[in-house]
Amino acid sequence: MRVLALIMAGGASPSLSALTAGRAAAATPFAGKYRIIDFTLSNCVNSGIYDVGVLSQHQPRSLHEHIGVGKPWDLDRLQGGVRVLHPFPTPDGGGWQRGTADAIRYHLDVIEERPVDYVMVLAGDHVYKMDYRPLLDLHMQRGADITLAVHSVPPHEAYRYGMVSVDGEGRVTKFEEKPRRTSSALASMGVYAFRKDYLVDLLYRDQAVDFGSEMLPRIVNEANVCAYTFNGYWADVGTVQAYYEANIALLAETPALDLYDPEWVVRTRSFERPAAQLGAAARIERSLLCDGCRVDGHVSGSVIGTGVVVGAGAIIRDSVIMPDSVIEPGVVLDNCVVDKQVVIGRDCRIGEGSIGTPNAAQPQLLNTGLSVIGKAARISAGHTIGRNVVVTARTFVDQDLASGETF
Amino acid sequence: MRVVAMIMAGGEGTRLSVLSEKRAKPSVPFAGKYRIIDFTLSNCVNSNIFDVAVLTQYRPHSLNDHIGIGKPWDLDRNRGGVRLLQPYQGRNDQSWYSGTADAILQNINYIREQRADLVLILSGDHIYKMDYRELIATHLAKNADLTVAVMHVSLEETDRFGIMTVNDDDQVVEFTEKPKARDKGTLASMGIYVFDAKRLVERLRETSSQYPNLDFGKHVIPTMIANDNVYAHPFSGYWVDVGTVQSYWETSMELLDPACTLDLFDAEWRIHTRSEERPPAKFGPQSKVEGSMICNGCVVRGTVEHSVLSPGVYVSPGAVVRDSIVMTDTWIGPGAVLDRVIVDKDVVIGANVQLGVGTENVPNRLQPDKLTTGISIVGKGAHIPAGISIGRNVVIASDCDEDQFNGDVASGESI
Repeated sequence: MRVLALIMAGGASPSLSALTAGRAAAATPFAGKYRIIDFTLSNCVNSGIYDVGVLSQHQPRSLHEHIGVGKPWDLDRLQGGVRVLHPFPTPDGGGWQRGTADAIRYHLDVIEERPVDYVMVLAGDHVYKMDYRPLLDLHMQRGADITLAVHSVPPHEAYRYGMVSVDGEGRVTKFEEKPRRTSSALASMGVYAFRKDYLVDLLYRDQAVDFGSEMLPRIVNEANVCAYTFNGYWADVGTVQAYYEANIALLAETPALDLYDPEWVVRTRSFERPAAQLGAAARIERSLLCDGCRVDGHVSGSVIGTGVVVGAGAIIRDSVIMPDSVIEPGVVLDNCVVDKQVVIGRDCRIGEGSIGTPNAAQPQLLNTGLSVIGKAARISAGHTIGRNVVVTARTFVDQDLASGETF
Repeated sequence: MRVVAMIMAGGEGTRLSVLSEKRAKPSVPFAGKYRIIDFTLSNCVNSNIFDVAVLTQYRPHSLNDHIGIGKPWDLDRNRGGVRLLQPYQGRNDQSWYSGTADAILQNINYIREQRADLVLILSGDHIYKMDYRELIATHLAKNADLTVAVMHVSLEETDRFGIMTVNDDDQVVEFTEKPKARDKGTLASMGIYVFDAKRLVERLRETSSQYPNLDFGKHVIPTMIANDNVYAHPFSGYWVDVGTVQSYWETSMELLDPACTLDLFDAEWRIHTRSEERPPAKFGPQSKVEGSMICNGCVVRGTVEHSVLSPGVYVSPGAVVRDSIVMTDTWIGPGAVLDRVIVDKDVVIGANVQLGVGTENVPNRLQPDKLTTGISIVGKGAHIPAGISIGRNVVIASDCDEDQFNGDVASGESI
């Protein structure tokens, strides 16, 4: 069985707010030392798939740098290995990809020349550990054209997903993209297995640009589409809130997503950093801490990325801090997502005040009290920043910000 | 100018007790995630030296495994890169390396094949950060045949080192190994030499006929001082030879002191190592950690004070680790108390074990010269049964099973 995996990593994910202003959603740091795409890449190699294409489009630099030649995943190979597939202009000036099917159609020549029998199409911005082999086994047994991985979701979340209805034999009978109301509780995970010849033929014949919103609702009636139910942990961290919750869920005593499983190591490009150093006055509980951190303050309920510095007397509560940010002495940080390389000046108070004021610019997105500080932002000493605040990347904040503001 | 570095990594390091029982001393873990040799290897690549040979002999497996093809140091190269040189059999002779210079002599072909102009001889068991380019610059400026890196030591310590006596121009006029008299100056050789390659080969050949166990300090350097241009290059940074259990422990504890001058966080001089992929360290709701170094993959649910934890160490609820060094993937059971111990990799410490109790005054009976300061050591892969108490200056051998214990272990005993 020869399989090519194509990872869709081009999405802009505006719902991730300032976190994806300068990077693809798939390249967003997660759990301190990973990028979100590491989960899908690791799933591939842990499932024995060593032929991988990563399709990029939106802000790809961070993603390309992360993947490099694929060393951390043993994807630096002569046969197969990882290759990055980026759009290029067509003679008529077009060339940008308008959807998942469009993106793959664009690189159809790459797929055609690969000596594979099956093609898996995977989302690059989901957090989950999944062995793709049982899905592929089912796909082969059933002689399916397409097999979709599905996961049950609560009804109030159905509007975020492609919802799938399945008959008694596991055949997909209906596919509804982001329905307001549905009788189904099974969401498509954005994990598809195709017979290669079927996929190639389909993309030549059908000019639709997106699998989920256009193609699948139509072709479930004509093609043999099967569903494979996945029961493990799976999170589509497409919103700031979901992203935050998925990080914080790792702090549970026995989290649903076990990163410590030696049988299913999630691999990433790790930078060489010394052991985390905790000072004599440090206090840390219910938290994750990565190599290269230096902590002299008090950290609780938080995920602290590689190389973060927490100054003396600083207090960090229920927050996610990405690599190489500096929290200076005396800062109080509550309920925040802080991107990389941020500097928060002495004695600032971030995330203070009432939860009741949603973000004025994105009230749908930020209304639970979470504040977001974009990459490499600097906040000068002594300022107070409220809740549901967004500080955009690379800005210099030299003032107080009330709850709900965007700077 | 082609420089090759040759790292001496074959030493047994008997004074490190069970830590170097199953591995060469350069491969002993240090500062949580490193091996001792990482410092020298990183110094090489950070100094732009990418032709590196590692000479191994004693228990090389762990070291070979660690270095592999040299990826972490970017030494997996088409041209140059890292080469492991082990003793080999020839048609007319077969011999183990019988001394430092003998090891180089047996690998003269490497120097020739690399067409080296300069040969940098380094020791694989020192902890320091040094830019070898400065040493080489001195060597070239003085038009020397041999330049030796030296550092000032206090007058009281001179009897522990090889002392270089220099003239006003830093030319070495005399070399005395561990002088009893205090009149030889205070410049100690660091065991770091840069040789003119041709002169080195020449001198090795000449001296080898006179001395069977050819050693740099004893034979080659004195001969060269008498005949060639030998200079000293003073170095003033942090440098430690972690040769004993006591100095290994002290050096590790020193790293926890904010005033320590060995800066591992220096982004301009990274220490590279082979890191296994591990998730972030996790701290449970009951955890209390202070003044410590904790690596990725650790899970801490107990108390850790003033200690160094390597990747993957598990500290159960109620356990206390104090003034200790715990290496990779060791499991510490609930309620266990560790005080001033060095625990090697893959050890299992049962629930409520008391490790390091009682008086420091009973030296280890089998190694009274090595273990006298109250530090107990647990060898790799040992399993300590629940509930027992173990004294100070105790050595637990590698792979010791639970049934080899007969209740408590008094201070100074060995298992």
